[in-house]
Amino acid sequence: MCATRMDCIRRRTLTDDLHVAFGEIEFARSVQAPVARPKSQTQPRRIASGNQTNATRSRAFVSPKSKRPRPRMVDIAVAVVSTGFGLTVGLAFTATSRHQLSAPGGMALFLGNLTGMAGTYLLLVMVLLISRIPFVERVLGQDGLLKWHRTVAPWPIVLIAAHVIFLTIGYAQSARSGIFHEFGTLVNTFPDMAVATAGFGVIVALGVLSIHSVRRRLRREVWWALHLFMYVALALAFAHEVVLGPSFVGHGLTKNIWSACWAAAAGLVLTYRIWLPVYRSARHRLVIDEVRPEAPGVFSIILKGRNLERLEVSGGQFFEWRFLVRKLWWQAHPFSISTRPNPPYLRLTVKEVGDFTSALAKLAVGTRVGLEGPYGTLTSHAVHTRRVALIAGGIGVTAILSLLEDLPKSSRPVVVFRVSSEDQLVFHDEIENLVKQRGGRLHEVVGTREEFPVERLSTLVDDLNKRETFVAGPEPFVLHVVAHLNRIGVPKENIHAEVYSL
Amino acid sequence: MKRSQTSIIVTAAAVGFVGAVAFHASGTKTPTGAGAIANTGGSNSTSSTTTPIQHTTNSSTPPAQTGSTVVVPTTTTPNGGVSTAVRSATGSMEQYGYGQLAVHVTVQAAKITGLEVVGLQTAESYSQQIANQVLPVLKGEVLSAQSIQVNGISGATYTAEAYVYSIQSALNRLHFK
Repeated sequence: MCATRMDCIRRRTLTDDLHVAFGEIEFARSVQAPVARPKSQTQPRRIASGNQTNATRSRAFVSPKSKRPRPRMVDIAVAVVSTGFGLTVGLAFTATSRHQLSAPGGMALFLGNLTGMAGTYLLLVMVLLISRIPFVERVLGQDGLLKWHRTVAPWPIVLIAAHVIFLTIGYAQSARSGIFHEFGTLVNTFPDMAVATAGFGVIVALGVLSIHSVRRRLRREVWWALHLFMYVALALAFAHEVVLGPSFVGHGLTKNIWSACWAAAAGLVLTYRIWLPVYRSARHRLVIDEVRPEAPGVFSIILKGRNLERLEVSGGQFFEWRFLVRKLWWQAHPFSISTRPNPPYLRLTVKEVGDFTSALAKLAVGTRVGLEGPYGTLTSHAVHTRRVALIAGGIGVTAILSLLEDLPKSSRPVVVFRVSSEDQLVFHDEIENLVKQRGGRLHEVVGTREEFPVERLSTLVDDLNKRETFVAGPEPFVLHVVAHLNRIGVPKENIHAEVYSL
Repeated sequence: MKRSQTSIIVTAAAVGFVGAVAFHASGTKTPTGAGAIANTGGSNSTSSTTTPIQHTTNSSTPPAQTGSTVVVPTTTTPNGGVSTAVRSATGSMEQYGYGQLAVHVTVQAAKITGLEVVGLQTAESYSQQIANQVLPVLKGEVLSAQSIQVNGISGATYTAEAYVYSIQSALNRLHFK
């Protein structure tokens, strides 16, 4: 943060003087053979206005950061949801009696009720996890929430399948009929059971599609579009719960509370997954101003929009971007902002890794862009110690770059930027300047994992185990680095990692 | 997951569970099921006996209720006299989970002459259908047996139980044989 507005402007234009007055700079090259430096560096230094884009020109205004995360609120929310789970299981127990249990089919019916209640409540939890409630996302992160969603997922599916089996057996025993016959009776004559059975089928099918070995055969967008049908399954199953569940029949209060919980979950999804993104997109009206190549296979998209001074986003965060052209509008992809908003400009930087990203490179100026977010916990809010290390792998440098801007001038961060080839050293000037302004050290590491195994991080940064470390990049990179950090004894609360995957 | 978060989840879930069970236990009245039926006098009055549910031709009604007992209390008259006046009383409103009902019982001499369901409210239409089918059948059974020792109806356990218990409480109020 600049002390005065003139400070901000002055610092930006002084950037390219390689003035060492602000602190040390070290360049560590770990490649054995001498390598030619990137072209921009061999030319004589000048005010590199050619390197500056609209997005990085001197700022007159510093846009607000995202709100501070509040972990205690999330703890309370977790406690409330867990209490609800206990209540729901308790409801299943109170809906039966010893008398009913000893009747034919009684135990199976009780177990069917128990698994139904527990499984459905967990489905509610699953919805809450992906509803992108802001105060939760600020603490757990979109990637953390998705990880939870995937971890919890098998439980409700298994419980509901058990629910179906137990109840069929139980009703068959109590009516003294055969299981298959009873299943037919249940589906055809019990109220709202036909739709509930359809919903069950959808849940099972989507569960199968989500098994890793099946899922990787599908394109990500196709899998995700199919997965949306979970909402349909939940809606189909709702009626049979309140009409047939022994805890709800004749118990108006319980039924109303249960219904209110589901209505609230639906409301949260509609608000935070649909309404808020639409509202933000409409408020900012982003359009592509420039598509700028940064390196082979890496390009920046500079967006221009309105009211960007009201966009609260921290460096290191990302949005799910929706490019409103015919083939791409139905997919949203996450990309970090590579610099803080510079109203009216916003910049994201993309590496071409597949169809979608290749299509992005060809987008025309003026294309409208919608956004969802901001999301991500790799922010300066997370910093709680005095010594920071930022480790960027490949395109992960985008998050690290914008995060750097948020670090205070006294932070003296150590930045490691690892790429597989020299020409991938994007934003070299920007990083260098930001690091210099903060009295830090920059290490640019070019080479493959064999040439530079992750253990050598500790030789580059000798106090790595005492620093709070932020890691961003492709999944294998992040996992390797985090594993190394764990090995050298960095406590978990000092490791902040964001994996670019879904 | 952080250890503190695990303990939050487990503790809160346990609290919820205990809360539900405790709240339910404090709220339920003593069940009017087996053993709570008054036995007036008589050395050979039996306590509740249970008769197993017999299948009736109503097999199209799927069992929405579980349990298979119809408690059959027997009563004996305290005074052996027979009154010829027409007397009636309404039994207690029996809540049976899928609805509630009370039966208005009319007796004359030593006979049950009238049974009328009053205050029937069902939770949803399915239970209403069951009640519509089953209550007339039960009425005929009780009137012809002149006792509430009747067979239950598969798929209408709770409805039948409520019907019978309500009649029983009306008979108690009438000090009927």
